[in-house]
Amino acid sequence: MIARLSIKSLRNRKVTASLTVLSIALSVLLLLGVERIRHESRESFAATISGTDLVGGARTSPVHLRLSVVFHIGNVTNNIGWESYRAIAGRPEVAWTIPLSLGDSHRGFRVLGTSADYFEHFRFARDRRLELARGRVFDDEHDTVLGADVAEALKYQVGNSIVIAHGAGEISFAQHDQHPFRIAGILTRTGTPVDRTVHVSLAGLDAVHEDASYGADSDPLAAIIREKHQTSATPRAITAFLVGLKSRGTVLSMQRRVNEYPGEPLTAVLPGVALQEVWEITGVVEKSLFAVSVLVVVVGLSGMLVALLTSLGERRREMAILRSLGARPAQVFALILGEAGFLTVAGVLVGIAALYAGLFAGRTWLESRFGLFITVSWPSAHELGLVAVVAAAGILIGLLPAYRSYRYSLADGMTVRI
Amino acid sequence: MGGVLPRNWGPAFPRHATPRKQILMSAPVVELSNVRFSWSVDSPIVIDIEALCIANAERIFLRGPSGSGKSTLLSLLAGISRPNEGRLQVLGQDMATLGGAARDRFRADHIGFIFQMFNLIPYLSVLENVCLPCAFSERRLARATKSGGSLQAEAVRLLAHLGMADGELQSRTATDLSVGQQQRVAAARALIGAPELLIADEPTSSLDEDRRAAFLDLLFRECELGQITLIFVSHDASLGSLFDRVVSFAEVNRAGTSWLGKPAGRP
Repeated sequence: MIARLSIKSLRNRKVTASLTVLSIALSVLLLLGVERIRHESRESFAATISGTDLVGGARTSPVHLRLSVVFHIGNVTNNIGWESYRAIAGRPEVAWTIPLSLGDSHRGFRVLGTSADYFEHFRFARDRRLELARGRVFDDEHDTVLGADVAEALKYQVGNSIVIAHGAGEISFAQHDQHPFRIAGILTRTGTPVDRTVHVSLAGLDAVHEDASYGADSDPLAAIIREKHQTSATPRAITAFLVGLKSRGTVLSMQRRVNEYPGEPLTAVLPGVALQEVWEITGVVEKSLFAVSVLVVVVGLSGMLVALLTSLGERRREMAILRSLGARPAQVFALILGEAGFLTVAGVLVGIAALYAGLFAGRTWLESRFGLFITVSWPSAHELGLVAVVAAAGILIGLLPAYRSYRYSLADGMTVRI
Repeated sequence: MGGVLPRNWGPAFPRHATPRKQILMSAPVVELSNVRFSWSVDSPIVIDIEALCIANAERIFLRGPSGSGKSTLLSLLAGISRPNEGRLQVLGQDMATLGGAARDRFRADHIGFIFQMFNLIPYLSVLENVCLPCAFSERRLARATKSGGSLQAEAVRLLAHLGMADGELQSRTATDLSVGQQQRVAAARALIGAPELLIADEPTSSLDEDRRAAFLDLLFRECELGQITLIFVSHDASLGSLFDRVVSFAEVNRAGTSWLGKPAGRP
């Protein structure tokens, strides 16, 4: 009966009640939305590289190496010799290696020189391998394989020719236009930096820089190549390499071995730890977002408190009538608390419904705009926990107006003098 | 107000089936003896009644000016408040010995109320308002169900008795009714489940003369039918002649004279 009275009373004040539900729903939507995006971006982030045990490069700061090799952010200034790479790749504990050479670009997209092993061994997300949407992987120095975003943004098709440029900027004056590449294949979307990468063979990259018609003055790599020129069949230098080990147990000893490599100063980092460290750099923003959404929930619930408290004055007579009919003060208390509970739960449910509607509607946009893959799944235990905290807070806040109405009903009895 | 109601209740006023003498000699429904009450230890005594006895099925007119403590007495009778001293029995039950919840239950089971105005829960329909007391009292629910076949049927029957047989009228919300209609709904609500005691606190103050007469006629008729004891509180002395007995509150309440005209000394 108390529940029915609560619902009828709320229906009687439907404008205020709807606005209260709306404000709670919006705050829940924001809280869960921020949490979902936070979680998904962390997942996306962690999915950038998988199955690789070590990332190696010339001696530099570990964070710098991670950013440039895994996320293609910034440039690695030093190269490592091909012999050093081969020496490490030849270790008995090594299952596979992938050489990487960075430094050039094509219309703002990074060019990555690598070997066919890249398409064989590189993994992202949960052990997913790269797949071709169209065409094939490169099999000579004139081929290139594009990431999904590159092909889409520049409207490239298999068979088109492209020219790469020196440096990573969008506009470059040092075009390697003597050595065009033919698009051999286009990869499926991965949601990782691979999508924004132009892949060419190491031989192709060397061929570009070797080109005698190009001035050594403006291409330092060409100068180095010329200086140390041996044969064009093997590259002279690479930027970094990825290592997969036969046994994960040897990862630390292998890392130490690379770090202490006598031939030249090298650095090896664990990509998992690297991801965690880089993620922590963004931790402040993440925490601030969470704090803001918690504050919005507080504002939403305060709105309910104000709405319930202001309605109490008008409802003292109603409480007095209920008392005259035999309602106990505890029942009057339960009536108001029930209303707070109903408003909160309704707000939470509407908020969750809005979140899922938003996820369904916005996932394509998030994916294409930010490369953020949102999986529409049931609420996680963490999200359910958050929602439970919001609901509990709403009911807790409802205790205040409920207690006031209890006091009123004790003091007023059956007659109200307002 | 509906045309079915008599405009002049005087001549048509129903006579009591029970002779006066018999009523006054039957077991008292309300009995007060040396009852004293103040809102707190420091505040003045509001109620000081040496003796007051109200018999079964008696219609009593309790007259007194505003602020004389009438509402406080009703609170004591209803079990909202408890006397500081003395004995207060309602239907043989000593109210001073009951705990808060028990007094609330006693009120729900045995006492019907009609107030001056704003009697009804504004967001409930007429029928829901009438049925409401049975939500707090299983005893009244059982009686109403027995009498009408179902709670709903009993509410409809009572409303029809009070000149509100129209189904459309019964499904309206309380605020869509005229003041006179609201008072009749309040009467139906007070009468449902046949409580033994009906307390009406200034129920006719907001009605004009014709409507007041019609309302009183209906009220008397229902009390007569259910053998309900009626305590009717008003400051309008002209109504006194219609009742079995007029009690001047100022005379029975020894504490009343010192704070006449002031609020009833409530905190």
